[in-house]
Amino acid sequence: MRRDFIKFCGKAGLGLAVPVSWPNLLQGKAKEPDAYEGPYYVTFNASGGWDTTYLMDPKGVNGINRLYKEGDILTHGKHVFAPTAKQVGKGMSNEDFFKAYGNELLVLNGLDYSINNHSPCKRYMATGKLDSLAYPTFAALAAACRGPETPLAFLTFGNYSATGNLVPMARIPYLPSLKLIANADSVQGVARNLYHDDFALDLIEKALSEQAESAPMAHPQLPRAERAQSMLYAAQTNSKALKRVTPYISNNIPKERLAKQAEIALSCFKGGVCVSANLSIGQFDSHATNDPDQMRLIPEFLAGIDYLIKRAEELKIRDKLVVVIQSEMGRTPHYNKGDGKDHWSVGSIMFMGKGIRGNRVVGETDERQFLVPIENKTLAIDEEKGIRTRPEHIHRALRELAGIENHAFSKKFPLKIPEGERLQSLFG
Amino acid sequence: MKPKLMMLLAISLQVSLPGADRLEPSPDGDFVDEVWGKVGELSCLKCHNSSGEAEDSRFILRETVLLGGAELQTAQNANFKAFFKMARMRKEGQLPRLLLKPIGKLNHEGEQVLKPDSTGHAILKAFVHRMEGKSVPESTAEKYKPRSFFEGVTMIGNESLLRRLTLSLTGRLPTPKERQAIKEKELAGLDATLDQLMTEDAFYGRLKEGFNDIFLTDGYDGNGELILSYNHFDKTRHWYQKHDFSHIENKRERQEALWDMARVYRKAIRGEPLELIAHVVRKDRPFTEIMTADYMMVSPYSARGYGIFEQVKDRFENPEDPFEYVPTKLPALKARNGKVQESKTGFYPHAGLFSMFHYLRRYPTTETNRNRLRARMYYQHFLGINIMELADQVADAAAIDTKYETPWMEAADCVVCHRTIDPVAGLFQDFYNEEGHYGQRKDGWFEDMFVPGLEGENLPKEEKWRSLQWLASRTAKDPRFAVAMTEHVWYLLSGRIALRPPQDIEDPLFTPRRRAYSMQRREIAEVAKRFAQANFNLKLVFKELAKSPFYRADGLKAVVEHPHRKAELHDLGVTRLLAPEQLERKIEALFGKRWGKVAKEMKILYGGINSQSVTERLPEPSGAMGAIQRIMANEVSCLHVTPDFAREPPKRRLFPHIEKDVVPGSNPANDLKIRKTIVHLRGHLLDRHEPIEHPEVERTFKLFADVVAEAQKRKGIDKRDTYFCGRIDGKRIEDPHYTLRGWRTVVTYLLRQPEFLYE
Repeated sequence: MRRDFIKFCGKAGLGLAVPVSWPNLLQGKAKEPDAYEGPYYVTFNASGGWDTTYLMDPKGVNGINRLYKEGDILTHGKHVFAPTAKQVGKGMSNEDFFKAYGNELLVLNGLDYSINNHSPCKRYMATGKLDSLAYPTFAALAAACRGPETPLAFLTFGNYSATGNLVPMARIPYLPSLKLIANADSVQGVARNLYHDDFALDLIEKALSEQAESAPMAHPQLPRAERAQSMLYAAQTNSKALKRVTPYISNNIPKERLAKQAEIALSCFKGGVCVSANLSIGQFDSHATNDPDQMRLIPEFLAGIDYLIKRAEELKIRDKLVVVIQSEMGRTPHYNKGDGKDHWSVGSIMFMGKGIRGNRVVGETDERQFLVPIENKTLAIDEEKGIRTRPEHIHRALRELAGIENHAFSKKFPLKIPEGERLQSLFG
Repeated sequence: MKPKLMMLLAISLQVSLPGADRLEPSPDGDFVDEVWGKVGELSCLKCHNSSGEAEDSRFILRETVLLGGAELQTAQNANFKAFFKMARMRKEGQLPRLLLKPIGKLNHEGEQVLKPDSTGHAILKAFVHRMEGKSVPESTAEKYKPRSFFEGVTMIGNESLLRRLTLSLTGRLPTPKERQAIKEKELAGLDATLDQLMTEDAFYGRLKEGFNDIFLTDGYDGNGELILSYNHFDKTRHWYQKHDFSHIENKRERQEALWDMARVYRKAIRGEPLELIAHVVRKDRPFTEIMTADYMMVSPYSARGYGIFEQVKDRFENPEDPFEYVPTKLPALKARNGKVQESKTGFYPHAGLFSMFHYLRRYPTTETNRNRLRARMYYQHFLGINIMELADQVADAAAIDTKYETPWMEAADCVVCHRTIDPVAGLFQDFYNEEGHYGQRKDGWFEDMFVPGLEGENLPKEEKWRSLQWLASRTAKDPRFAVAMTEHVWYLLSGRIALRPPQDIEDPLFTPRRRAYSMQRREIAEVAKRFAQANFNLKLVFKELAKSPFYRADGLKAVVEHPHRKAELHDLGVTRLLAPEQLERKIEALFGKRWGKVAKEMKILYGGINSQSVTERLPEPSGAMGAIQRIMANEVSCLHVTPDFAREPPKRRLFPHIEKDVVPGSNPANDLKIRKTIVHLRGHLLDRHEPIEHPEVERTFKLFADVVAEAQKRKGIDKRDTYFCGRIDGKRIEDPHYTLRGWRTVVTYLLRQPEFLYE
């Protein structure tokens, strides 16, 4: 019987979230999954294309920046960044950000996005694969490998969020939504007012688990139907764990866009019901008025990151976070005929968190904002024989960091990087 | 991006050549699956076809995806012959042309399309070796021999098909007459039923909902009336502000009435694009009119916004109904400075959706985008080509950007796409703003772009004033339009986009995936052909797809083990998680009343869309959605079980043949009644029609019996039904045997089943 049931779950198709632990099911008691305890993966997306020269890759020459000169460029430890304190209205300046997080922060400059259209670039940055619609985002892949049974394993707030059919994506638009669904068996979510007596609820669950177990054997199903049945069962059963989030739902809902998303993600992390989250704000596509737009958005973006870290500290999960900070493209090293900057296929990415050695800068762009190749082992500049760092290199390194590079799901979506191009010790 | 785009553009323009060439040797499975499927079709055909960029070369290939039978054989023979010839052509001391050209040698105009060490090139090498009579290492893996595609696949029963369709398209159960018709005439009776179904208002609600999922016009930015420019509609667009509410004495109520009217007006105007689609289908007009219509749809409220209410008011059945729509034409727009839009007819040059301010505002432009987003959406929405779907990597895009002043007109990597996109962008030049309003660019249209036109045909100067009509008339003749619309209906019916060709030739399941794509593509092409022949009546597409084995596939005769066969069948069958709106309609159809939560406050949480920031429905349930399913099952059973028992038996939907005093285990007759009730419930809620001895009936019986028995064992169980679920007219109902509560567990259990939650 056990073998048959495992077979049934195996049939669920392209690697689906296995519902729950077998012993509980076989006893006819679908038990909620164990809490996921980290690491938690967070990707911040500056959607629309950020101007890296106003953040971690400052230039101040060749007319690239109007708001500062080369001599104004600031440093903190190994980091070099554009001065923005005088420009910031709301949000966090670069000065404050690097001061607060520079020691934990790894910056990679000179990332080749390869093309400069939003849609494929977003896909490429999110998955490490440019020419496929099938690949999962790193966040989804990590969720599928690390905690498929968690009810909100992969949480997304926008941007490219494909899952590769490995794990369902979850959208939680508002924090109170979590309260709404946390106690699904209770009237209006009030725990003491159950719709059914507890023994009746147990018997429903028992019947459902027995039914799930026997269904595929009763009549052979098409792969889609098999998969749907298994996904549905997992979703309903795992959803019981959502009540763990309730104690961590803050009554102080932040107003800022990223902070709102971060608060939801952190509540879910802390409740053990989420593995990864894709956080995003848009409007970075500053074709018309680059400097005001970027000076409004970059501080807002950094403030969102700051909120996540500080709140994670309060929740005592900061040391379990892995944070990726990215955008799908950069901005040109010149202003267009107006005051905007258009798309540029070279940019940067930042990382911080568990397993990442900070106070480091890898790679660079030259004074015209062109990519300078790096040597894959030492990560030192090597204009002659170095490689152009592309999203697949980053994703390979991220998979290694997460310890999932050899997981069956990762192998299902290979990145096919020659060994001579694998970035070694990127995260230190 | 270039070759892929060109292939997409070319694919439906292929024609099959008569006659078959006599070839020796002939194409075998290796050629078809490996050389052709993985290299020829993906890498060569894009340019080397009779109308492609390499049409003048000596290596012309033929599209095979849409072909079958003798036509397919002929095309495969021709392709084999072309490859065979190239494999033999070589200069002394050189590799054959077949191996040199694709790696960019011998002045290959397409430059390098395969890397020398790639899988694709290795396939060509093996082919050359075979053609030279050399031995090629055979794969040790057992070859999969494909069988008839639908062999072993069972189809949904006709009555279940009918139920699926009535629920899907109109949110109701079939009538007895409809059930009788399908029983008597089987599938042959389906067309007449669907014809009738497609006259119902509910169908048009679903049609609009489905097409909004595609065009997303409901999601344009800002208040509804913002599509009306200040420059042309400044005196009318806020007409409601001058509406006379003086008969309402209370100031606050007067203010609220004004707000209500504004809200309704905005909703009415926002709905116009989808009303055009509904009108075209309802009136059996050619669906090409969604682009070619020389009119727009207005309601009494929106007509006031355009300032044309007086002209059209007599055409409304009820001029007070904000949501009654009629077709009409706008006069040529007159600006505040008195300048009138150029028009040779005196009317605004309507071109269906293309010229609707709503569509233009939903897909706005900027100084650098230059209407390219609109061109991209044109290709995606009306020709089924997603230009951004796949992109080719270039060595250094930044270097290209810098090298050329106008890379989109000079750099080969950019030109090939922009040559197609930019002319279409130019056709939208009369709407050069983010608001979707009429208005040209101050400095005239860009001269550093390919001139306005469509795929090689320039827009004649005299047509400039009606450039979108010009675009629409050409698109209506394009065979890709019919295919795209068939794909849209498939999306509406199945909830997912039509299969795309697999790209990863290193995927061990590439060949079966390609077969699955090819089979579905042929079906879509065939339906599209009939759609065009039927003067583009969209109802035909619904009818044809409803009968298609792709829509009816429902199960398997035996478990499939072979991974290739599983990959072939991977996308088969509908099995669609009901969207929030669909779930509400189903609840209403089965229980008589909507739940009212999942399509409102829980809509986004349950995977729905808002047409703006959230535009794709979630196809699979997350844990959050699983929780909502549990809430729904608990609450819907809570709302309906006890009240159902309170009705006269003939009026009951759930329990017409049983009373609450029938207790399991009391006697065989009672058990039989309970089992029959379970059979009824499973049929009503899940469309499962099983005999009483069926294991699932038994499982459900056991659930009911165990709950009742457990309640009897427990002390302190209330003899009345619960406060929240068991009151009628405010009074708690007696439930001495716990059967009401027992039946509620049964209904909850059933509502959590995939048969209820999926289509």
